[in-house]
Amino acid sequence: MFGRAKKTVDESKILEALRTVEDPDLHRDIVSLGFIKELKIEGGKVSFKVELTTPACPVKEQLKAECHQKVSAIVGVEQVDIEMTAQVRRMNVGAATAVLQGVKNIIAVASGKGGVGKSTTAANLAMALKVSGARVGLFDADIHGPSMAMMFGINSRPEVTEDRKIVPIDAHGIKVISMGFLSGPDTPVIWRGPMVHGAIQQLVRDSAWGELDYLVVDLPPGTGDAQLSISQAIALSGAVIVTTPQDVSLLDARKGLLMFRQLRVPVLGIVENMSYFLCPHCGERTEIFRHGGGKKTSEELGVPFLGEIPIDPSVPVGGDLGNPIVREKPDSPAAQAYTAFARQVAAQLSMLAESGGKSLPHAPIMPGPIDWK
Amino acid sequence: MAEKVSPTNMRQVGPKDLEITWTDGHVSTYPVVYLRRSCRCAACVDEWTGERTLRPEAVPEDVKPVRIEPVGRYALHFAWSDGHSSGIYSFDHLRAICPCGECVKAASGESPGS
Repeated sequence: MFGRAKKTVDESKILEALRTVEDPDLHRDIVSLGFIKELKIEGGKVSFKVELTTPACPVKEQLKAECHQKVSAIVGVEQVDIEMTAQVRRMNVGAATAVLQGVKNIIAVASGKGGVGKSTTAANLAMALKVSGARVGLFDADIHGPSMAMMFGINSRPEVTEDRKIVPIDAHGIKVISMGFLSGPDTPVIWRGPMVHGAIQQLVRDSAWGELDYLVVDLPPGTGDAQLSISQAIALSGAVIVTTPQDVSLLDARKGLLMFRQLRVPVLGIVENMSYFLCPHCGERTEIFRHGGGKKTSEELGVPFLGEIPIDPSVPVGGDLGNPIVREKPDSPAAQAYTAFARQVAAQLSMLAESGGKSLPHAPIMPGPIDWK
Repeated sequence: MAEKVSPTNMRQVGPKDLEITWTDGHVSTYPVVYLRRSCRCAACVDEWTGERTLRPEAVPEDVKPVRIEPVGRYALHFAWSDGHSSGIYSFDHLRAICPCGECVKAASGESPGS
């Protein structure tokens, strides 16, 4: 055979090939998005990192396979090593980011009415984002029925630092602060509006959250004091509305959504909980309530539909035992559905950040404060 | 639902005016005393009837903001030199009370040229 000298593959060839790989959510190629890092070429060996905008990217494996295939097809390439990483982007919300400096995205989980599984959804959203590799915090703002301590098996109270910051409790790697920390399990919180307002502002602002990619806020159901307080105290990156397929729940979901529109918080989408029942024995799918209401409502209101979560008896069991199902039984259909939903939420936030708030309606960038002269 | 506008820029103009530039390109210039008198907080407007309880003459002519701060993503908060600080001005409200001729005309329902 010919004694061929080892010829190094041209870098531009590789970038050219990668330029044909498009992020399906951001609708741009991964080279111009700046995802390709540390490209190294040694002879026929090519290695690089693909830095996504979220570790919970719904199409991570698909993108990796596509990169691998495209680069492998280049003449002279013998080996391709790809590492998938992520750097969560912060949406520019303007001056309002001054509060909670280290937190990149704040997601409110809301519902128009109680009993739709909002807290369970919030817990599993946080857990799924954490499992994907993100740094996650959870603020349980459900003033009258805080449940995160139970859902995450927390028995202790948070400590307070010397500079009077509350240190969140670490539960399964998630930093948790709950309104429940202010009262015992047998002490109902019977507060007037101004007290709710003060407590929420203080807990969310004065907690030592540190650096977080996502802070999930579990709001109480409905449209009242607590929702307003949160929306005033911090600049929410977006809100997720939890509903069930029944009409009354959908009606309330609309109200929740319209509230966020008034408060100019972008609605990332609607997730339908208790969507259907999967028989654990035969796997048959039964739609206990009617099907498709959440999707229809999201289409009517022009917001993304983020997924449907099946009814699974082990979901509340996991919740009661302090272990969200995403962690307890990651392969179960419900856990998979929560994970897919969490990825959709992360994708919507990435799109918002990338588009400068333009991918969803009503996402203003706040002006800075003025000291009058 | 019409696309809601929000500020792209906000600045003090001279000693007595606040200027807001909106996402649709419109520029509003508000005399600050007018803003103070347009406060819609529960102390200035009856919460049930919507009737204004703040008497305009109760606001000194030389009132000015001490500090203007963003509230969440939908409003501005004003702390005033007369000590009043409970008013939150939503962007919707601010735009609705734009005092420019064009907006005043549109609000009073007059057709242009009439």
